[in-house]
Amino acid sequence: MLLRRLKSHDEQALGELYELYAPWVFGLALRILQDDGEAEEVLSDVFVQVWDHIDQHDARRGPLAPWVLSITRNRALDALRRRRRWWRKAERWERARTAEAGNELAAPDPAEAAIPGWPVHQEVHQALASLPEEQRRVVLLAYFEGLTHSEIARRTGQPLGTVKTRLRIAQAKLAEALEHVKDWMA
Amino acid sequence: MSDWLGMSAPPRAPRPELKAQVLVRAAQRRGGRRYGPWLAAAAVLVVVAGGASWTYRRMGVLEGERARLLAELQAARDSLSFIMGTSSRVIQIPVSTNGRVGAVTIFADSVKHRWLVRCEGLAPNARGQSYQLWFLTNKGARSAAVMAMDTDTPMVLALDMPPDSSRVMGAAMSIETRQGSAEPRGPMVFHLTL
Repeated sequence: MLLRRLKSHDEQALGELYELYAPWVFGLALRILQDDGEAEEVLSDVFVQVWDHIDQHDARRGPLAPWVLSITRNRALDALRRRRRWWRKAERWERARTAEAGNELAAPDPAEAAIPGWPVHQEVHQALASLPEEQRRVVLLAYFEGLTHSEIARRTGQPLGTVKTRLRIAQAKLAEALEHVKDWMA
Repeated sequence: MSDWLGMSAPPRAPRPELKAQVLVRAAQRRGGRRYGPWLAAAAVLVVVAGGASWTYRRMGVLEGERARLLAELQAARDSLSFIMGTSSRVIQIPVSTNGRVGAVTIFADSVKHRWLVRCEGLAPNARGQSYQLWFLTNKGARSAAVMAMDTDTPMVLALDMPPDSSRVMGAAMSIETRQGSAEPRGPMVFHLTL
């Protein structure tokens, strides 16, 4: 089992983990940071952190993929907050946001379907797509931009209570929809 | 639930050369992590042990210094009590030793039955010799102190009077062998009847 080999510090296992997860780690970091260089730094940091702290992963509390993605998200949001390079990315952000507004959950590229974990991606994609627009918006702002409830309220011009309610409902729906999702790692 | 949301981002294959860099970096970290804590612990241990050793030695030095200063203070207080005491009698005896003129001063406390003797200006003893101070009593000379003086620095000593019923009638100093004598045999430095 790959997880067991990782915990016994088998470096070959780390290489295999990289093959399985790197596209998702890099994709998530890129989605948050919109910058290839920064996303590559996050990718490197994430795998080093996973390698250093693999003993802290408790399989009873969940599969490995969400744990790795959680590390990725935290690292990427830290970079986003710390570096404050918004001015450099403003134009790219605007383009990305315009694309999101028009087709926020664009149809996946069929060429990517060969990447391990693709079925999970599709399920999460579908679960998000099934949310009403106002709920999906608050989920995306909270997850990909790391905004607090108050910041989301200011960004969307909605009352704080409304934001909290939408997030709560959305999370319940996603939890139900993704309850059966399993890690694709062997 | 939200942990799976990361999977909603489209996957992107990173540059192929990144893999090797990441693996090398991870392997280096693992190596560093394996020995790093032990090296750090060893360094801390060395520092702590060195500090403790230095502190222990320093405490020993300070303890000795403290004891020496306490002894000096006690001696000074003792001397002062002789000088200031109303029952003290001061006797100064000029002496000449080896052509040098000096003095022996006796502070005799008749209440405490103690003497404070200060010898100043005495010539250093010849090899194998020493000065010996005597109480002259009604039962003969009793040794009070043997003072080997290898330098000409002043010497101060406090002496208890003979504990028996013999009455001290005077004092004397002679030059005796290094270990002292049972009775005065050598050249007399002074002889005084009180």
